[in-house]
Amino acid sequence: MLELAIGIILGSCALGAGIAMIAGIGPGIGEGNAVAKACEAIGRQPESKGSVTTTMLMGCAVAETTGLYALVIAILLIFVAPGRLVDLLMSTIR
Amino acid sequence: MMKIDVTVRRETKYIAVWVFLLSLFMQAVFLIIGKWDYTVLLGNVLGGAVAVLNFLLMGITVQKAVEKSEKDAAAMMKTSQSMRSLLLFITVILGIALPFFNGIATVVPMFFPRIAIAIRPFLDRKKALEEVKKDGE
Repeated sequence: MLELAIGIILGSCALGAGIAMIAGIGPGIGEGNAVAKACEAIGRQPESKGSVTTTMLMGCAVAETTGLYALVIAILLIFVAPGRLVDLLMSTIR
Repeated sequence: MMKIDVTVRRETKYIAVWVFLLSLFMQAVFLIIGKWDYTVLLGNVLGGAVAVLNFLLMGITVQKAVEKSEKDAAAMMKTSQSMRSLLLFITVILGIALPFFNGIATVVPMFFPRIAIAIRPFLDRKKALEEVKKDGE
């Protein structure tokens, strides 16, 4: 029974980490779209290249933070959460 | 060797300065709460360096991508984002797994560029107000 409980904890943590990493897809698509539109804008007004690049860089960095949040949550779920939860389970049993 | 665009260089410099300042602040916080040791410093250096490197790599990719067609640019950014995410993933794993890096001090500096960008509008507004004042004189 104890092995089953530990297995469920580990499996849930791994599943949670996988689900959290779905958020990592968003920034890639968002950045891709932003740069594609920037190409269009620069093609239309080449003199605005500097300001478009600056704005886009900042936007891309902001978008990327979302992926980073997901990454941190996933890593915590893989490395930190299982140990804590198993400890909690053990202390509950005792 | 590829020449880095002036805009990319300027923005990376801005991010690097803010990462440095915020790192100093983080070190001070660790000192105040009494949890400072050499692992905090090493973790901070690793996290901060990777945060700036990540921004620079993104800038270089953007610089290359804007010279391509829309489709190629989007694909290039997606590939670059995946690679940079992998770099961040490896860094965070190293920060948590290796005993000579403090995990928190490695992860937190990666969010400093976001804070630097959030601060920027206030600095720009201040500069704009100063310019308006100068024009008025």
